[in-house]
Amino acid sequence: MRVMVVDDHPMWRDGVARDLAEAGYEVVAAVGEGRQAVRVAAAVRPELVVLDLRLPDLPGVEVARRLAAAEPPPRVLVLSASGEQEDVLEAIKAGASGYLLKSASKEEFLDAVRRTAGGDAVFTPGLAGLVLGEYRRLAARSAPEATPRLTERETEVLRLVAKGLSYKQIAERLVLAHRTVQNHVQNTLNKLQLHNRVELARYAIEQGLDES
Amino acid sequence: MTGIEGPFWRAVAVFRVASLGYAAVLLIRAGGYAHPVTGWLVIGVMALWTAGTIFAYSVEELRGRPLLAADMLVTVGCLLATPMAQGVYQEGSLPITGTWMGGAVLAWGVYGGRRLGAVAALIVSLADLWLHGVPGGGFETLPINGTVLLFLAGTVVGHVARLAKKAEERMERAIELEVAGRERERLARGIHDSVLQVLALVQRRGQEIGGEAAELGRLAGEQEAALRELVRLRPEAPAAGTADLCALLHRYGSATVTVSAPATPLILPAATAAEMAAAVGAALDNVARHCGVRAPAWVFAESDDGLVTVTVRDEGPGMAPGRLEEAAADGRLGVAQSIRGRVADLGGTVSVISAPGRGTEIEMSVPTG
Repeated sequence: MRVMVVDDHPMWRDGVARDLAEAGYEVVAAVGEGRQAVRVAAAVRPELVVLDLRLPDLPGVEVARRLAAAEPPPRVLVLSASGEQEDVLEAIKAGASGYLLKSASKEEFLDAVRRTAGGDAVFTPGLAGLVLGEYRRLAARSAPEATPRLTERETEVLRLVAKGLSYKQIAERLVLAHRTVQNHVQNTLNKLQLHNRVELARYAIEQGLDES
Repeated sequence: MTGIEGPFWRAVAVFRVASLGYAAVLLIRAGGYAHPVTGWLVIGVMALWTAGTIFAYSVEELRGRPLLAADMLVTVGCLLATPMAQGVYQEGSLPITGTWMGGAVLAWGVYGGRRLGAVAALIVSLADLWLHGVPGGGFETLPINGTVLLFLAGTVVGHVARLAKKAEERMERAIELEVAGRERERLARGIHDSVLQVLALVQRRGQEIGGEAAELGRLAGEQEAALRELVRLRPEAPAAGTADLCALLHRYGSATVTVSAPATPLILPAATAAEMAAAVGAALDNVARHCGVRAPAWVFAESDDGLVTVTVRDEGPGMAPGRLEEAAADGRLGVAQSIRGRVADLGGTVSVISAPGRGTEIEMSVPTG
């Protein structure tokens, strides 16, 4: 698994890179700036990017967006000291598949990397609260036909994640398989990212039509 | 002279000087009226007063009701001296002050807004009309053009001056807020880029090393969480009388308490938001008491269908079903009961889900309206 680390704080960058290397990942690049990250990613083609949202030259959200445009796009795990909720939500909508606060322990971090690498969404309770809030914000808007909706089960699972239950606890409580819980969480993320891409495309078309 | 009022006072000064010149021209054109010496004496007084007021109104400490009153007295005095200079009232002629008497009306308007401007116009007009009325003319012969113009000048100038002052105050407040906001943002950026990163790193490495270092790491983690919350950039303050419940709940976030909420604010009436936050605080105190101060707890806020719901969850020992009811029956009001009372006062509901060994979940809902 080829991994790239993007963090402007040298101590963190080195620490994270070392932890990843010790855990058996191949760290192909460790950079401290956003534009550089996008450029280097195009060259070294990492499969997974550990991304800090606060970078000196380019907002982390924008980096996530540009990384997602690659073919195939790398998986992005946001690891941030930032409690800026809007930023986290935007990064997730732009294509990041997980979010972890920097205060998480090394074990939690490596677990999150493993799950992200395996294609799973990594949801903290905080992120579940943000995503649920975003679905409800979208539902409260005027254009209902274009709004992504959660199924009842997905809402239920997301609420339990937001309340701090682990997937295992949720599986027990709802009498579901662990994998099913994981799939529900994954679906909530996929729908939101798809909606975001459609919105962006629609916006681009509208702008284009206005200009012509 | 600072601010927006300065230009207004300068405009009044220009008006006074110009209308003084006009009054002098009128006097010369009329060949000095009946009593040239008296006429020039009045013009002289007007000139002195013009110079005096230009100075006095330019000094902020001197501007005030005494100056306005003196201004009005001198103006009306000069106006009433008209018969002494002009002799018998001439049909259609201006009084000796000419348009100069408008200066006091403008000054009152600029100082006190349109009402005071109107009052000044009324006083000067009455004096003017009384002059015209002295020879014994009827109402239909009274020249009311001047009166209308004085009222218009007093109220319009007063109104505009007041509007300009308000606009200036608002602008100043906006600038202050912006400066404060930018400073805060700068601090937040600095803290994010350095202090938070290092604290998080100390916490992480401390845990790995263990022993005393773990304790140091834990302390660093607590500070990291507190500081992160402190510098979190909030969206602009909600409208007066309302509050963002999310912002209040995020204050509870710590190394042990995880707060999950939407990115958009949960707006509630200020009192409701404060009570809900207090109820959540009571629930968290309860967790600390029953499960230990290091026990993790989760606070989750959401909004749906006109209801704001906050859940406080712990993974402590939990309670057997019916224990709350037993406690209430014994006359002991548990914390859950006091929370229930609080939320019920807000028109909301509370449900408690708990089982031995499964932790406790307190869910509080209040209507947003």
